[in-house]
Amino acid sequence: MTPKTREYKRDLIIEMTTNIMFPLTLLFGLYVMIGTSGTGGGFEGGTVLAAAFILYITVFGHEMGRKKMPESINALFKSLGLFLYNGAGWICVLFTLGAANWLNMPAFWPVTMFTGVAGARSFLVSYMVSAGIGLTVMAAFVSQYFDLAWKEEEEMGGDEE
Amino acid sequence: MIPREIKTLTLFGLFTAIILTAVSFYAVEDLPSFGDENSAVNKYIKLFGVDSGGLVDNLNAGVLPEEIKNKIEKMGFIHGPTCPGCQNENYPTIEGNYTIKRIEKGTWEGGRISEGGWNVFIREGELFYNDPNDPQEWYFIKDPVEGKLNVYRYNWPTRVIERTVNETAMINSVTSGLADYRGYDTMGEETVILTGAIGVILLVRRRGRL
Repeated sequence: MTPKTREYKRDLIIEMTTNIMFPLTLLFGLYVMIGTSGTGGGFEGGTVLAAAFILYITVFGHEMGRKKMPESINALFKSLGLFLYNGAGWICVLFTLGAANWLNMPAFWPVTMFTGVAGARSFLVSYMVSAGIGLTVMAAFVSQYFDLAWKEEEEMGGDEE
Repeated sequence: MIPREIKTLTLFGLFTAIILTAVSFYAVEDLPSFGDENSAVNKYIKLFGVDSGGLVDNLNAGVLPEEIKNKIEKMGFIHGPTCPGCQNENYPTIEGNYTIKRIEKGTWEGGRISEGGWNVFIREGELFYNDPNDPQEWYFIKDPVEGKLNVYRYNWPTRVIERTVNETAMINSVTSGLADYRGYDTMGEETVILTGAIGVILLVRRRGRL
């Protein structure tokens, strides 16, 4: 159902609730994804982030959802998560000129200057890896929902006749 | 409607269902109670019990009795030496390989309240983790109950809880298990998610353009 092709029934309560809930759900998803000192992690946080977008697409329709999450950015997120995870490991290999193994970071210099070696290791493994997993999971869920919700132009009015 | 003859496949399915039901009943009966911090999954698993006659004095003197040494080795957790000249020796008989530390009941040890007993540290010869300079506690001998000494073996979560701060400098032991000890596994899981998403795009997407 799109606003252009058919009369679009607007419900004020649902739309206002979604407008309020959408940023709060994103915030909660970020908290679950990044806040690894408590419970949570990349997989759960990414699912909560995806749930916010799915709620938005369900209420406002396919084309408004595309404005919130364009396809190009979605495809970028999908691979950026994996690049973040692998890059956190490869950066350690590069910055130590091959002295360290993959994901075994004794020196990650931009971070080591501020937090020390142990802090840098904790930062990389906890935050960067979790953020990478979360981005990939979110983009995968949202992309699947877009693919299933989309219909051809001639299929639009099919279910009312 | 009653079937006239019993098919072999139906009979086989019936037996499988009965056996699975029995197994699940057994598993439920065998599970530790929820929140039991000394259960097998949380701390240690029971290996065997021996009669405690005269062994308590040995343990208090810091000597591991021969009975317990030989039984532990017979269970296969400790392999023999691999150096060429010492094939006939056994690690349990080497002097100083085992050290024993007494833990009183009710003291805070390893993140939990101890039940009272002896911790057995092993220097060399264990199956998984060997460091001669850093003996690990692998076995726990509980105080005698009804004339029996029970020997327990610590499991992996106990090691993780005690050592994750020193080994990984992590703020959360669950994250250290997920992203540090098993970092390659998690990377593979994420790759599986990306591959699945690409597969769904190829199968379901019906547009010519992005």
